[in-house]
Amino acid sequence: MIDVELLLQRSEFQLNTKFSVPSRGVTAVFGPSGCGKTTLLRAIAGLEPDAVGSLEVNGQHWQTPHERLPVEARRVGLVFQHPSLFPHLTVEENLLYGRKRLEKATNPYDLKELILILGIEELLNRHPDSLSGGELQRVALGRALLAEPKLLLMDEPLSMLDQASRETLIQLLENFLQQLDIPIFYVTHSSEEVARLADNLVLLSRGDVTACGPTATVLASLDSELSCSESAFSVLQGEISSKELSGLLCIECSDGIDLKVPASESMVAKHYPLGRAVRLRIRARDVSICLERPQQSSILNILPAVIAEISTSSDSGSRLIRLDIAGMHVLSKISEYSVQQLGLHAKQVVFAQIKSASLV
Amino acid sequence: MLQHYDITALFITLRLAATTTLILLVVGTPIAWWLANTRSRLRSPIEAIIALPLVLPPTVLGFYLLLAFSPDSPLGGAVASLGLPSLAFSFTGLVLGSVIYSMPFVVQPLQNSFVSLGKRPLEVAATLGASIFDRFISVVLPLSKMGYLTAAVLGFAHTLGEFGVVLMIGGNIPGETQVLSIAIYDHVEALEYSQAHWLAGGLLISSFLVLLMIYGMNRRIHLMKTS
Repeated sequence: MIDVELLLQRSEFQLNTKFSVPSRGVTAVFGPSGCGKTTLLRAIAGLEPDAVGSLEVNGQHWQTPHERLPVEARRVGLVFQHPSLFPHLTVEENLLYGRKRLEKATNPYDLKELILILGIEELLNRHPDSLSGGELQRVALGRALLAEPKLLLMDEPLSMLDQASRETLIQLLENFLQQLDIPIFYVTHSSEEVARLADNLVLLSRGDVTACGPTATVLASLDSELSCSESAFSVLQGEISSKELSGLLCIECSDGIDLKVPASESMVAKHYPLGRAVRLRIRARDVSICLERPQQSSILNILPAVIAEISTSSDSGSRLIRLDIAGMHVLSKISEYSVQQLGLHAKQVVFAQIKSASLV
Repeated sequence: MLQHYDITALFITLRLAATTTLILLVVGTPIAWWLANTRSRLRSPIEAIIALPLVLPPTVLGFYLLLAFSPDSPLGGAVASLGLPSLAFSFTGLVLGSVIYSMPFVVQPLQNSFVSLGKRPLEVAATLGASIFDRFISVVLPLSKMGYLTAAVLGFAHTLGEFGVVLMIGGNIPGETQVLSIAIYDHVEALEYSQAHWLAGGLLISSFLVLLMIYGMNRRIHLMKTS
């Protein structure tokens, strides 16, 4: 487990966090800019001398109210938002900077293999100033991992990249981060990155942790700041069950529940084998509710559901509804007017029309 | 032509400038580092004190140093009670005076270089397991190369041209504390213009060459970065 209880007082800002996350997998720290995500990450790394409280990582005390481990003794890998390779060293020297300083290297990552996975084998003798943004971040990730960290921290590593390099790197991260045996904190303000990468989710708002837990659970709660916002969404896990329908992929998300998503030939997922695990992101705005199963609809996914919860607060005339579809939680955002017209209430059996679901 | 004392004056000057520069690089590094990173209220007063030699007439500095060297003062008294020779009219005294006099010329370029370095490279190095000392050697020094070069050249050149302070505390003893700038003054006073020309011209040309070299290197590094 990682237990975080850190406080930081600034003149116009206060970070006040208390949460625990499991010791494996990707924990996304999500929130609008200025909410203290980066400060939290820096406090965990030990780079904020004014942060007080306690921090325990897999049984090791990094900080207690009485003493704190210095940054260099924490064994934390940090990938900054702005690429930060040492400009006076080559890519290879950068990669080995941390590894050379290990007292006892156990080499959990094979250097050659890591270089191949990151796709930086051509760059080893070059200097950072001749590298692109995506290349710099890949080298920075490799450098952090070769120092054999107990915890990997990534601070919006994709935000400075152009769309194409973002896509390449996020695909790499999707596969790669899941294989790592260490916990990862991933700061982001992009819901797409949360959907694609995060196993756990910590929501941060004005320095306070407003929710923490497995991604699907946190996303399904109606009162979090994220669900109240326009970008509320749900994430479903499933596996590819059929590729027989032309232009469509069938994703089995729960026993007997198939979701169909459009798949063009150019899509990477189109070429995944059957049984391959994937994630779906469904925006709350794209889910509507019918009392009876609509006949002859163009909408691909119409599933029986039970209303689990209806939000009490109504902002800008809409309500958020949590639907239970064979044990999975899906959020739906519909108008206040519709809720009253249809007489929706908890435990009611309805049909959920999912206008679109995207593979992430 | 040059006399024996002119040659010794040249060597004393070079030795003084080299010793002073070396001491200043060692002493100036922690001071510049502190000034570049501290949030303490003491920063401004310390910066002002270090910059004082830039605005004070050297004779003012020399006057107070002379007072400090006298056996009646705490410094001079301490030196005397240790059984060491007096600092006034000695080479050691000249070094001490020059270190204070040339301090801003070394500290300020170093401070600027440390500030422009920023915190990020050091934070990265710390997360990668480098201790404070290690971070300084492996990150700060190589990234502040230009700052150190500028500091060394300015400190050396400024000590080379020192006149007022040396005159006040050195006593102009040929072969011991007489430096080049004072030797030139003496020659001019004695109307020995040809010797004065040799020394003055030599200093002019060598100073120009040193500065040319520095600016040339600066330009090369700049070109390498932009290419």
